[in-house]
Amino acid sequence: MINLQKFLYQKFSRISTQLYLGIGSAVSFTILASVVAWIAFDRVAGLQRHVNENSVPKMTVAFAAAEKSSALVAAAPRMAAAASSEELALVANMVAVDLEDFQNKLAVLMDDRHHGNRSAQIQDKGQALISNITAIQDSVSDRFEISDQLEVRRAELIELRDRLTTILSSTIDDQFFYVITGYGDLEDSTSSREQHFSQDQLSRYRHLAELQVDATLGVQVLSAAFNVAYGPQLEPLRERFEATARGIDRRLAMLDAESHQPDLIALFNQLIDLGLGPEAGFTLRARELALEERQRELLTQNRSLALELVAEVEGLVRAAGGSVQEATRNANQAIGLGRTILLVVSAASLIAAVLISWLFVGRILLRRLERLSTVMRSMAAGDLEAQVDVRGRDEVADMARALEVFRRYALEVQRLNLVEKLAEELKEKNTLLESTMSTLKQAQNQIVIREKLAALGELTAGVAHEIKNPLNFIKNFSEVSSELLDELLEEVPKLTSADPQQTDSEKVSGVKHESMEIINEIGSDLTDNLKRICEHGQRANTIVQSMLMMGRGSGDTQATDINALLSQHARLAYHNARVSDPEFRLTVEEHFDSAIGLYEVVPQDFGRVFLNMVGNACYATDQKRRFVAKSRPLDREASYQPTLVLSTRKLEHCIEIHIRDNGDGIPASVVDKIFNPFFTTKPADSGTGLGLALSNDIVRKHGGTIRVETETGSFTEMIIQLPVPPVQLDQELPGEDG
Amino acid sequence: MRHFWLTAAAQTVCAAIVALSACPAIAEETGVHEESILFGQSAAFSGPAADLGLNMRLGIETAFWEANEQGGVHGRQLELESLDDAYEPKAAITNTRKLVNESRVFALIGAVGTPTSRSATPIAAAAGIPYIAPFTGATFLREPERKTIINMRASYDQETEEIVNRLIRDLGVKRIGVFYQDDSYGHTGYRGVVNALKRRQLELVSSGTYERNTTAIKRGLLDVSQGNPDAVVLVGAYQPIATMIRWSRKIGFDPVFVAISFVGSNALAQKLGSDGAGVYITQVVPFPMSNWPPVNIAYRQALAAYAPDAAPNFVSLEGYLAGRLAITAAERCGRTLDRDCFINQLLDAESIDLDGFKLYYGDGDNQGSDAVFLTVIDESGYPSPIQKLERKVEP
Repeated sequence: MINLQKFLYQKFSRISTQLYLGIGSAVSFTILASVVAWIAFDRVAGLQRHVNENSVPKMTVAFAAAEKSSALVAAAPRMAAAASSEELALVANMVAVDLEDFQNKLAVLMDDRHHGNRSAQIQDKGQALISNITAIQDSVSDRFEISDQLEVRRAELIELRDRLTTILSSTIDDQFFYVITGYGDLEDSTSSREQHFSQDQLSRYRHLAELQVDATLGVQVLSAAFNVAYGPQLEPLRERFEATARGIDRRLAMLDAESHQPDLIALFNQLIDLGLGPEAGFTLRARELALEERQRELLTQNRSLALELVAEVEGLVRAAGGSVQEATRNANQAIGLGRTILLVVSAASLIAAVLISWLFVGRILLRRLERLSTVMRSMAAGDLEAQVDVRGRDEVADMARALEVFRRYALEVQRLNLVEKLAEELKEKNTLLESTMSTLKQAQNQIVIREKLAALGELTAGVAHEIKNPLNFIKNFSEVSSELLDELLEEVPKLTSADPQQTDSEKVSGVKHESMEIINEIGSDLTDNLKRICEHGQRANTIVQSMLMMGRGSGDTQATDINALLSQHARLAYHNARVSDPEFRLTVEEHFDSAIGLYEVVPQDFGRVFLNMVGNACYATDQKRRFVAKSRPLDREASYQPTLVLSTRKLEHCIEIHIRDNGDGIPASVVDKIFNPFFTTKPADSGTGLGLALSNDIVRKHGGTIRVETETGSFTEMIIQLPVPPVQLDQELPGEDG
Repeated sequence: MRHFWLTAAAQTVCAAIVALSACPAIAEETGVHEESILFGQSAAFSGPAADLGLNMRLGIETAFWEANEQGGVHGRQLELESLDDAYEPKAAITNTRKLVNESRVFALIGAVGTPTSRSATPIAAAAGIPYIAPFTGATFLREPERKTIINMRASYDQETEEIVNRLIRDLGVKRIGVFYQDDSYGHTGYRGVVNALKRRQLELVSSGTYERNTTAIKRGLLDVSQGNPDAVVLVGAYQPIATMIRWSRKIGFDPVFVAISFVGSNALAQKLGSDGAGVYITQVVPFPMSNWPPVNIAYRQALAAYAPDAAPNFVSLEGYLAGRLAITAAERCGRTLDRDCFINQLLDAESIDLDGFKLYYGDGDNQGSDAVFLTVIDESGYPSPIQKLERKVEP
């Protein structure tokens, strides 16, 4: 028992069990809701079936009956309006079909006990309507018969009128002519005036004329009678016609027409018969009008019957409509009930779901999971020391326990990692040490080289100093010798032409003249030689100067206008170049940035740098000019113009000095070597190979750099960058001065 | 299976093509059929003007027969459906409607009489049907706005003008009276004479009337004789006119009688017999027995072949010319004949030459011929052509 209790307690404390229970209750609520909905819909469907199977067909029949009754109402006027008996037959057929339909519909409705009374009434009304319609049909067909007869009479009347007109006008014409002229027939001869202009003939003419009037009147009255629309109007016309007929009889008797005009009498009799005969004009028209009257009455009756019938059928339709409405109401109620129950069940399951999620998931599960996740995050951040709370028996507690185990392992692993990391660091340090060692070795090598260079510099300085004096002697004495030689050559002509009057000594002077020429030749050779000695001495002196320069720092720093310095030394270098080659022309463009202002440099040193660089530029461009001139001698001026562009620029942290020429550039193979001492591309007698090395030294001493941009065959640009503010030379390179 | 579908498709396409090609046949002009063209005529074949209608029909039939013998017009035979209106407007209306709506004729041809034409033309115009060569010279048919009417003969105005002109010029007669039928035809003639006199500053001496389709002319005869005219212009049908002339002779009233063409010359001459001698009749077609224009020869030959018993006369010649006119127009339109083309071929033509009988139509002129010829009934009782009026030699 206790075991079972314990087992149950354990089971309930599991989250899975709790979840199953929660989901199970939600599912049962849903099933419950579905059952309720099913019951509600079943009820609605039942009601709907009832409507579909009972009310709707009944209503359809009722509507059809109503429609048919309207058709029947319209049938009677349609019959009455029929224009011919064929049309009447057609309409009657259609009406018969409608009638049958109507009766069938009525029979269906009769089955319904609820409306028994009403159906019987409808049946009665329907029968009355049917008999009425039959009566109308009969009267219409009678009317057609009479109309046809009347039509025949009308045609007869028209024919009669024409014949009467012809015969009367002819007869009157003849009579008048006879009265006036006495001629009766073409073959006759004229009669005496007493005979033809007599009282008898004149009254005969009068009677004929009156007969013509009577004929016209009779025809008019009769055609008026044919067209009368209202029965009572017929009587006065009949009276008029009778009077006319009596008048005609009278005049025909007076005319003694039987002997003279038998055809005229026949025509008039025909006219009178047409009006007053037993089956003729007036009678027929009266009968037709009576029929029309009867038809009107029948139609009125038909209309009222039809209205009653329609009203009854409409009642039936309303009743059918009522039953449909009731069924619809029931269905609505069922739907409403079902909806309410559904709402309640849905609300209950919603509340249950909220409670489960809030109480169980939110309060128990999520909070503990959150705690666990906090621990996990701190572990991930490296804190493996915090203990994990492992209370409880559910799955979260299992997880916590597993995490605790993991934490311990992690701690172990962390320690192992630490050792490995230390070993790694040691290895890195070793590597660093090794590289430092190699750098050290390189530095040592460089130091050795520098030492060598310094020794070389000292040696050079010494040698230079020693060579300087002999060079001075060479220079000075060669110059003095040159002057002396000039004086000597000036004196020689004086010797030959000291006495111009001495004419007998022409021969001697002629001989002397020859040796004079030789002397002059030798003299000029000597002068040339001396000049060359002087030049080469000068050159040796320059080299020595340079070597001396390399050896020692020169001058102090002072604020200098770099732009002016550059411009000045560029001009100097150009003139130097012009000295050795007067044909050389160089276009100098200056783009100076005045923002540079004054800059702290050793002006003499920088002067050398500029001189050097501009000198190189002049050399390069001159070489190119010569080459172009040689290869294309005809248009050398147009084809190549040596140009030098000098520009300075003030940047944010430095100033830049650009010296650009459009010479042949520096080949890529040597561009790395140009700053090496004694490297030169010039012929051995014109370059020392020290210019750029020296320049580089000077610039570096000022904390700047030199950069070269070049393209073989088109340009070389030297770019000097100096830092802003300028470095303090004394502090920067203390060792170099010593 | 596949083969079956292809066949079905081919059949469908063929059916479509057949349906399309059938369309033009449906769209053909009313009265124009594959092998025939149907013309309609409403004229008097009974009553006092019957002779006019019968001869008009005979002339048209002769012309049609002649053309049909030669293969028809572009392969179509010409047919004529004639209905009798007895010179009564009511009957003319009934007939015309029947011809238009039931027989569905292509055109109406050779109607006889002014009052009948007056009733029939509105129906023809409403249906857009050509109304060709009516046997009347009424003025209203020559109004330019009547686009579907093609007249052939000279108008009554032209005839009366010629009559008055001749009476005055040839005979020096100035006292002129009119005896006319009391309807639109007679009135047209009456107005023509009055206007012709007015143009010469003269007035009508007297006039008399009679009713259409009667021979009750005596009162009218007395009326016209009251003014004692030297000449009386007769505007009527042959029967009453013949009666009138005979009665006139009987009562000793013997002026110069001049009738206009509608009277029907041969019928009048026949009715009058010896009483007719010296009655002048104006004509709008040439004397049928003469050999000029050549169309007369063709007419006589065709008539002899088609109706060997019939003697040539003015009315059937006019009918023959009317038929020839219709044939010419239809021939000019070609195989795709329609009413617009038919009318335009005539109205737009500069001139139409029917073997020497020349017709001139033009802008607003729907009357082809202006020619008025003179004839007189001679002693033998037949009309013969004359160039001018001559005073009778008193016997």
